[in-house]
Amino acid sequence: MSQTEELTTLPDADVVKHAQRGREPAFRELVRRYERPVFSLVYRMVRDRELAEDLSQDAFVKVLNHIDRYSPEFKFSSWLFKIANNVAIDHLRRRKLDTISLDGSPFATSPTEAQSSALNLPIDQESALDELVARELGSEIEDAIGTLRPEYRACIMLRHVEGRSYEEIAATLDLPLGTVKTYIHRARHELRQILEPTRE
Amino acid sequence: MHEKHLRPDEFDLLLDSGEGFGVAPLRAHVRNCVPCAVELERASHVLAMLDTLPDFSPRTGFADRVMSDVQVFEPWHAAAIGTVRRFVPSTHSGRVAAGVGAALSGGALTAALTWGVARADIGVLLAQVGLERFRDQAGAAFSDIIATVLGPHGIAAIQSGSPELAALTAGGFVAIVGLGVTGLRALATASSRKR
Repeated sequence: MSQTEELTTLPDADVVKHAQRGREPAFRELVRRYERPVFSLVYRMVRDRELAEDLSQDAFVKVLNHIDRYSPEFKFSSWLFKIANNVAIDHLRRRKLDTISLDGSPFATSPTEAQSSALNLPIDQESALDELVARELGSEIEDAIGTLRPEYRACIMLRHVEGRSYEEIAATLDLPLGTVKTYIHRARHELRQILEPTRE
Repeated sequence: MHEKHLRPDEFDLLLDSGEGFGVAPLRAHVRNCVPCAVELERASHVLAMLDTLPDFSPRTGFADRVMSDVQVFEPWHAAAIGTVRRFVPSTHSGRVAAGVGAALSGGALTAALTWGVARADIGVLLAQVGLERFRDQAGAAFSDIIATVLGPHGIAAIQSGSPELAALTAGGFVAIVGLGVTGLRALATASSRKR
């Protein structure tokens, strides 16, 4: 059995030990195992494919460059999801701060100045990437998830897509267990309210 | 008619854990309470939709892009263990032979060291003899160089002359050697620049 094949059969903790000894195949194995779950979480958080790839890449680089700091009493996947979620939440917060009005600068002193600083976005030119995003995240349930608060979204993703327990979600997101339960309950309730009218 | 319906946390308990202690009475209640049954069915529908959500894949080459920014660092102890492992034979008989060889060499080395420590006086004597020989040879070599540079007349003049003359001659010798070294360095620099 080759070294790479052997790695695929090992539990996360053992693969991490190999990575801590500086074995590159172990790093690649960790990326292979979690690229889809991490990307899916971040993609559903930011709803932009290219950006989600960049943020997921950032999360992996952060984790793998500090693999020597990993403490085996926690699950590796929880640590990775925590970093990925933080990266996505940080981005969403920054984007909120950077948001500018489509109607022009709020500091404009005249209508002409406001018009000249307004953003003119082409609405008919949808790129292939936009089409892909619309196809992937365009279903009723994905649209409904997109309307949830990022904190609710992360909890719902970890619970229903990754199948994590409430305790694991609390540890991953650094939240009290009660808060996680409340977030998940509210998220489900909001989803029901959004999806109810579309139900036959 | 039921006076009390299920609380939100009880609905969550039913939705999250199919079976278990505390769930049975809640299920029994739902069986007999139409509003709670309807509520649970609606909530289950959302959960069923959530449970079918797929995982998405990033573009191909994602791992390569990640690895291009990751610094794979091998700690010194892991490198040392790896180096030692490379020298360990793969077959059992090879490992036995290597073990016996290592034990014999180690034993011989230990015996030699023990003998050396026990007979330290011999070691000191040998070191003194070696040092004396080195000093004699170095002195002879230095005399040869002086004789070559100054010639027999120069040596005779130094031997017969005053301490001032000897100091002047030694200073001249140092100056000549210094100039020679500087000249050689300049030549080497010029040649490396040319290349």
